[in-house]
Amino acid sequence: MGKTFAEKALGKKAGKEVSRNDIVTIIPDFVMSHDNSAAISIIFKKLEVEKVYDPDMPVIILDHTVPAATVKYAENHKIIREFVKKQKIKNFYGMNRNGGICHQVLPEKGFALPGSLIVGSDSHTTTYGAFGAFSAGIGRSEAAVIWATGKIWLKVPESIKIIVTGKFPKGVSAKDLILYIIGKIGADGAIYNSVEFSGGTIKKMSIASRMVLTNMAAEMGAKNGYIAPDKKIFEFLKGRAVREYEPIYPDKDAEYANELEFDVSNLEPQIASPHTVDNVHPISELEGKPFNQALIGSCTNGRLEDLKAASEILRDKKVHKDVRVLIFPASYEVYLNAMANGYIKTLIEAGCVIMNPGCGPCLGAHEGVLAKGEVALSTTNRNFKGRMGSPESEIYLASPATVAASAIEGKFTDVRKNRC
Amino acid sequence: MQNKIIKGKIWILRDSSEKVIDDIDTDQIFHNRYLAITDINEMGKYTLDNLEGWNDFSQKVEPGDIVITGRNFGSGSSRQQAVDCFKSLKVNAIVAESFGAIYKRNAINSGFPILIWKEIKEMVESGKINDRDEIEINLETGSMKNITKDIACEMEPFSNVQMEIYEAGNIFKSE
Repeated sequence: MGKTFAEKALGKKAGKEVSRNDIVTIIPDFVMSHDNSAAISIIFKKLEVEKVYDPDMPVIILDHTVPAATVKYAENHKIIREFVKKQKIKNFYGMNRNGGICHQVLPEKGFALPGSLIVGSDSHTTTYGAFGAFSAGIGRSEAAVIWATGKIWLKVPESIKIIVTGKFPKGVSAKDLILYIIGKIGADGAIYNSVEFSGGTIKKMSIASRMVLTNMAAEMGAKNGYIAPDKKIFEFLKGRAVREYEPIYPDKDAEYANELEFDVSNLEPQIASPHTVDNVHPISELEGKPFNQALIGSCTNGRLEDLKAASEILRDKKVHKDVRVLIFPASYEVYLNAMANGYIKTLIEAGCVIMNPGCGPCLGAHEGVLAKGEVALSTTNRNFKGRMGSPESEIYLASPATVAASAIEGKFTDVRKNRC
Repeated sequence: MQNKIIKGKIWILRDSSEKVIDDIDTDQIFHNRYLAITDINEMGKYTLDNLEGWNDFSQKVEPGDIVITGRNFGSGSSRQQAVDCFKSLKVNAIVAESFGAIYKRNAINSGFPILIWKEIKEMVESGKINDRDEIEINLETGSMKNITKDIACEMEPFSNVQMEIYEAGNIFKSE
């Protein structure tokens, strides 16, 4: 019997053949952490270890609350900056030209390598599976233990194969697909599982679109997501990869706990309604709902193609007077490219507010939180009750195209009916 | 040495229609507005305060209580406060039909007992367990006794790695 990607990737790190449900102790290639590095460093100090196991293993990116929103956040950032200096951690991306959202910066800086093993103290660490890495979210205590010892225990997950075929209708994208899938299988539909996305539609997808799928694999409970790395990935990594890499592919006769097929040919734009990501409806069921705030950005949909999709819809149009639109480019690289291509100018002229790359109000910390009774339409990945501010606000999730088209009308709109 | 048999009175997390709640996410357990709190002693009072019908949980829970809930408990963020807040209240264990993947790791690594019991909804609906019943769980074998109702059943026992870390106290001590 052949092996799945997860079995091969973890087996390679463990130095032995492993199968689903085995427990392995391995040394990851990288351990990612963000603003919670302050808490991790406090735990690290309690372990009474002088130096981090390998100063090149941690990758620390400030994104959750940058610039610091309160004195407490500022103090946390200060703790991190001092820790990074003291421990000689060179993979540190603070608030500057090299920064942005962790899940965008880490691939841009060449850490998300095919066949690599990355853990991160953030639940959307699954994103790097779009590059063929085994990447999974962990907690902060274990992140501190990895800093100290270099090791982590992992259970080899079972695997689910999702095969996607067909050509996307105009105005429908990877975000609609992943929302549709989560709506079908549920918020725990892939719990503890490694999810392998494959099929002709995935092969044709841009890297940015693939990242939408692996990012939101977390929202179906997955341990990790995976897409077979191909020429697109290898090209992207040229001049970026921080070290050599060896792709890992699942065997053709690998055994899966479940195999699911989806055809996107007739897929409608999808929206996840409050307060769970699997509460998914086609736009036709929600058209016309008024809302207060639009958000385009985040680790899910803040990449160049997302800003392009939004700017094409908003070109020479105006955002509705009752709606405010926040744009969060996923990184400064994305931001600069969006400027060079004129997307930023278009978005500003249409009435959008351009924010600094970062997580913004996605997790309710700052930069545009919601008041009681307000409704947001957002390209982010979670619509949990109160996540973006008041527990009495509502979050709906959609694609950048749906959000942009809706921002013009001031109500949920089917982008396929958009005049441009 | 940690006790391998735990005992406590239960709270079943049910909604207003008496159904056991699934998919309780980390924002309902420990809302993001409290994330700046780093002292575990301060965390308890915010436990479940964003879960409809349960925002008074921290006032009614007693040390040693056991929480019973549905599928995918602790889905969402990697925040460890969502485990620590229960420790802060001296909750003895959480029993669920399944747990969010990172929540499970956080609980295991901090030596906090969590158990998987796939038949929770059946047991609740048939009245075999009820709020404030006293139960006893053998973590090693998974056997459970409802002392109040004198009923015995089986849940999934601790895994080896879970027991190893639990016995050591937490992940730091097991290293």
